[in-house]
This record gives sequence, C-alpha cells and structure tokens, in this order.
Amino acid sequence: MTGQAFFVLTALADGPRHGYGIVGEVAELSGGRVKLKIGGLYGVLDRLAAEGLIEPDREEAHDGRLRRYYRLTRDGRGALAEEAELRAATARVVRVRLGLAGAEAAG
Amino acid sequence: MSGNSGNSGNLERRYRRVLRLLPGYYREQWEEDMIGAFLDGWLTGDPETDEYISRVAWPGWAEVTSVAGLAARLYLGGAGTPRRYFAWGQAVRRAVLAAVLVHAVLGLDVLVQTAWNRRLFGLPAPPAILWAASPGGVWFTVFYGVNVVWIVIFVALVLGHYQTARVLAVLAVVPGLVASLQAQLTGSMPAPFASWAFWVPLTLVPVLAMAAFHAAAPPPARWPWLLALPAGELLVVVPLLALQATGNFAWVPDFPGQCCLLAALACLAHAPRAWSRRAAGPGAWSLALVLLAAVAAVYRVASLTVYLHDPHLIAVGLGELLILGTAAALIAPDAARAQAATPPPPPVPHPIAA
Repeated sequence: MTGQAFFVLTALADGPRHGYGIVGEVAELSGGRVKLKIGGLYGVLDRLAAEGLIEPDREEAHDGRLRRYYRLTRDGRGALAEEAELRAATARVVRVRLGLAGAEAAG
Repeated sequence: MSGNSGNSGNLERRYRRVLRLLPGYYREQWEEDMIGAFLDGWLTGDPETDEYISRVAWPGWAEVTSVAGLAARLYLGGAGTPRRYFAWGQAVRRAVLAAVLVHAVLGLDVLVQTAWNRRLFGLPAPPAILWAASPGGVWFTVFYGVNVVWIVIFVALVLGHYQTARVLAVLAVVPGLVASLQAQLTGSMPAPFASWAFWVPLTLVPVLAMAAFHAAAPPPARWPWLLALPAGELLVVVPLLALQATGNFAWVPDFPGQCCLLAALACLAHAPRAWSRRAAGPGAWSLALVLLAAVAAVYRVASLTVYLHDPHLIAVGLGELLILGTAAALIAPDAARAQAATPPPPPVPHPIAA
C-alpha cells in the first residue's frame, strides 16, 4: 500500500468525507508533509474504489454543486488495520535498533 | 471548509480545460467531483472575494502536473481500464522493456569485452582484430558506468521495482544529454553515446515512457524477460563478434541498421501469431513491435545524416528501412485490432478483499 493510499484510508477511518475534506484531513494527519493535489487524490481514490476498499457514501448539495462523500468498506477497514499493524511493527523494530525503545521505557 | 458561491466561472473553466487531458470515460465518472474538490480549495464563500479569485486564479503547475500524471497512467492503462487503453499500456510497457533490454545487452557486452580484453577468469586473449584498447578518460569511464547501470535498470523493471528503475534511468540519461550537448557545441564527439539520433529515440523516449509502469500495471513475465538478457548477448552480439573476428566486418550493419533488422526479424517472427485468429491476445505484442519499428525507423533516418557524402551507405540505410517497413506492415492490421481485442485484467484485489 502506498503512503498516499494509507493516508487517504486513514482520513476515512472515522467517517465519510468528500474530496477536499480528504485533502485537508490528510494534510492534518501528516503534519503538513503530504499535500495531495486533486489529480493525485483522484488517482488514489479511483484505485481504492476499484480494489473495493472505499465506496461512495452519499451526495450532498453544496452551493449549487453536488459533493460526493466516500467511506471505507469492510475490506478497506481490514486492509487499513493490517497496514497500520505492519507499519507499527516496523516502527517498533526501528526504535529498538536505534536504541530508542529502552531509553523511552527508562524515561 | 470553504464553499462554492456560484462565482467560480472562470477558474472552473480553466480547470475543466486541464481535465481535458484525461480520457473521456474517466471524465464522465470523476470530472464533476474533481472540479468540486478543486474549487473547494480556492473559494471562500464570500461572493466578492470569490469573484476576484475566479477572475485572477489559475490552476498551478503542481495541480496541472498531477492531472497530467493521472492522464499518463490512464492512457497507458493497467488493471480495470478500458481495453483500448490497456492495449496501449501493455504495448508501451513491452516496447520500453525491449528498448531497455537493448541498453542492457550493450552493457553486458561491455562487461564481457572488458573481461575478455583483460583476460579475466582465465579467458584466452581475444583475436587481434577484436582487441580494442580503451581510450580511457572521464567520458569512457562514464560510458562503462552508464552501460552497467542499464543492466540494473532492466532487472529492476522486470522485477517490479519501478521507482528504482525510474530514478536510475533518469540518472543514466544525463551523461548522454551532456555528451550530446558538448558534441553539439564543440563539434567533437566526446563519448560513444554522444549523438542526438541515438539519445532521443533510444534513451530519452523509453525513459519518459516508463510512466507506463505504474501501480495498476500488471507485472511483466519475469523469466522470459530475464532470460532475454543472456539470450540477446548469445544470439545477437556473439554472432556479430564472430563475423568481425572472421574478417567479415563489411557484412555487419552499423548500429541503427542492426536495430532496424532486429525489429524487422521480431515482426516477422511474430507475424504467424498475429495472423492466427486462434492465438489469444497477440495484439498488444503487435502494437509493441510496431512501436519499436517506429523507434528504429526514426533512429535509422536520423543517423543517415552522417552518410550524406556516401550514396552507397544511404542506399543500404534505405534498404534497411524498406525491410523494416515491410515487416511492420505485416503485423500492423493486428496492432490496429489490438485496441479493441485486448481484454484488461480485473483490478488487483487487496489481499484482505480477496
């Protein structure tokens, strides 16, 4: 799973969001490191939708325009949990190898 | 969260123009959504401010680049894209692999010849006619380095390490560009690859076309492509060396000629499959070979300019082009049909979703 896909799925973890809402949430989640452009966002969204990890939730009228909201599917939730576990395990190994884990426990 | 206040006219029109880069089927499904998300990022909800923004703002380069990147991925389609775009994607991916294979075989040849010249691994001395002392110097060191890097790029592409291959390829392109520029400005040829006729069609174009290797692209068939590297050395380079070693140098075409004849041979070898209606899915290969034939033809025509003083060599070059054109014409109808006949694979499901 690419970093962008991971952030997009995480942005949808606590509820449905529309396109620009996802952009904002990803920027916040990543501390401003990941700034999705619209072409990049929809490149990720269409792939995740094709893989069955997200799906349209609803459409809402907003200033004369329909906003489409997206939500995680059950498979998307499972894939995100699995990826989060994998990344957390990797991070734990890195911290141990850098000697940070012991220092943290002692602190 | 910003909102759209109905004053988005000019900005929306400008962004719609950018979105025309995308294929029609994709715009039908996503255009309105993309425009909404884009305008959400600009508009404030205040009519006066939005009217001003809409008048003066343009989609930035980063935004345009992101749409262009998405367009490249869709036109050179992978899993889940319409047949036409999938066929083009497969054809470009195979043509790129074949072009990178040519570089990799040249790299392998450089390694083999270096080992032979230095009598490494107990090799006997090469025949005097084949022995070439390295002229040395920075450019030839770079030349050896770049050739070896192409082997790594080829293997990385075949094994699916697309990002690594792209980064190395961009680095491998630079020396050729610098050497060609130097040749252009000083009139001298500092390195064996310092020629626009070689650099543009055989190096720059395949590297740009590596955009076809994206996340949705099906992986290449590993073993046939990996075996093609030693096979290319044994079946192409060794016979050419044998011709040279036996004093039949005059029979060996120049490198653009070799590319033309190899592409023609590949087209001829593929023709029976292309004609057989029973063979499944040869169309993308036909399209790939026609693309390779076009690249070889451009290379041949561009490199003929150095033979303008010699009508015999011009005639040989035109003969090579005629052979290549005839061979490509045999599979061109199948290449044209490929766009409708190549079924795309379904999207790759995530392991959890499978």
